[in-house]
Amino acid sequence: MKKAVSIILALVLCLALFAGCGNSAKPADNASPSDASKPAESETQPEPAKEPEKEPEKEPEKEPEKEPEQEQGVNTVILMEQDDSMINTYTMLAVDPEAPFVDENGNSVEGVAINSEGAKALICWMLSEEGLKLCADYGVAEYGDHLFYLKDDAPKYEGEIAAATPETQTIRLSTTTSVNDSGLLGAVLPVFEKEYGYKVEVQSAGTGKAIAAAKYGNADMILVHAKAKEEEFVEAGYSYVLDGFEAERLSFMYNFFVLCGPSDDPAGVKSCANVLDAFKTIADGKYTFISRGDGSGTHTKELALWPKDLGITEDAASFAAYTDWYVSANTGMGACLVMAEEMGAYILTDKATFLTFQTNNGVM
Amino acid sequence: MKTALQQALELIIGGSGELSNILLVTARVSLTSSLVSLIIGVPIGLLLGSKSFFGRRALVVISRTLMGMPPGVCGLLFYMMFSGVGPFGRYKLLFTVEIMILAQVVLIIPLVVSNMETYVSRISDQVRETARGLGLKGLRVYVLLANESVYQIFTTYLLAFARAVAEVGAVSMVGGAIAWKTNVMTTAIMLYTNRGSFTLGVALGLILMTISLAVNILVTLLQRRLSR
Repeated sequence: MKKAVSIILALVLCLALFAGCGNSAKPADNASPSDASKPAESETQPEPAKEPEKEPEKEPEKEPEKEPEQEQGVNTVILMEQDDSMINTYTMLAVDPEAPFVDENGNSVEGVAINSEGAKALICWMLSEEGLKLCADYGVAEYGDHLFYLKDDAPKYEGEIAAATPETQTIRLSTTTSVNDSGLLGAVLPVFEKEYGYKVEVQSAGTGKAIAAAKYGNADMILVHAKAKEEEFVEAGYSYVLDGFEAERLSFMYNFFVLCGPSDDPAGVKSCANVLDAFKTIADGKYTFISRGDGSGTHTKELALWPKDLGITEDAASFAAYTDWYVSANTGMGACLVMAEEMGAYILTDKATFLTFQTNNGVM
Repeated sequence: MKTALQQALELIIGGSGELSNILLVTARVSLTSSLVSLIIGVPIGLLLGSKSFFGRRALVVISRTLMGMPPGVCGLLFYMMFSGVGPFGRYKLLFTVEIMILAQVVLIIPLVVSNMETYVSRISDQVRETARGLGLKGLRVYVLLANESVYQIFTTYLLAFARAVAEVGAVSMVGGAIAWKTNVMTTAIMLYTNRGSFTLGVALGLILMTISLAVNILVTLLQRRLSR
């Protein structure tokens, strides 16, 4: 009997301790985003997250404590944008049904089923007047700003668009998280589906994963944003030129990557001449930086912005020496933004996702 | 800001189309996969637990090892096999509910087998003696054995269902978490978390727990009634 009581007491104590740590760490972290508070934060983070699983009833009690923090708004702000090297171009690529597909052992595979007719219809529609306008206007009503801009030299399509047939009605679109999480596809695709009778199955992952899915024959078309990776994809013969277009890569819209960080900007990024300088300043001062770390388009862009002598690549070994400030999160853009907000860290993000994050007061 | 509970309630009461679709797919996947693995796994478990033959122990060890197979590995296996370039690519099963069920069945069967084997091996001698006394032979012995382990079968079903409904690695990989098609509760929670919308993730988690509770209550009641 006595044993049971002491065990229960110990458990309650543990719980209280976890809860206490979780709550006290947050304001402290907001006030001083210094290096010292970071390891502590990362250790206590898992604890509050576990609680809902054990005792879901506790959740509503915890919530009100968070509220005042949210009312203050987001501390992470845009520090640098509209820099020429920060243009983020989105490109559509149709997967070639005749592509040299190989299985995981490198043996070539024939007869991979690709819905090229469906992919062509969707690409043509996206590049028609209607599709382009929908993309360009997206976000103005909700966020008061364009989330995506049309490229001046975007390829245009004016011909007929084939309606769906039973064989071609399902289109597998592999895309990046940014176009999906910002709500663009959710706003645009239903119009297309309704008009032409197709069904678009969207799979959103980082650009790296989206391209990998296409290489495995699991996508009919991709919508991604990492030029180097797209060119590699084209060179390997996985894409082809559609009738009526000039190139495999159909770049049609863009927005800007933005460098974000805590509003007090401890690294002084705002006064940097350009984004390359800004990244150098962050690296020199060892200010915490959150990297996507997932092979996404944003990650690819970020890797290109670091000073060359640091030698940071996708390979985990390449930044093993920088783990005190370089955080490779390996997760989606939204989750990374939340992490940056918590840790008072710098982060590279596409503007669309950041605006969504900011509008929703950091909860998304 | 609404609390997670408020959001969850609003989602349920508001009957948002997508949520009910997620719930339906979840129910379809986890109920089917747990039932199918029960139907396949229980006979195997009965056999392994009551009959002694060459290689029985090896099979038991294998099945126990497979219990610990990470769902991600199982998902990856199926992803590779059913990819467009994989050996079964022509069936076009990837990113469908069927393949999710298949992957989960493979994942859960070892759990069912090992669980039944452990229980049956303990009662099998007694039951065989009774069967001999009653003059039962062949298949009828197994019917008696199954009848004796009804209570355990229900417990095993709950275990199978729990694994199916809570599992995320395999379904997210082979299902692709496609909205309106293969998005289940766990993958939806993962998606929302990846986007950084933790509250919605918690809300879905609460709903998932409630469903789990309902299924458990139902099965437990049935278990009581049937094994009396």
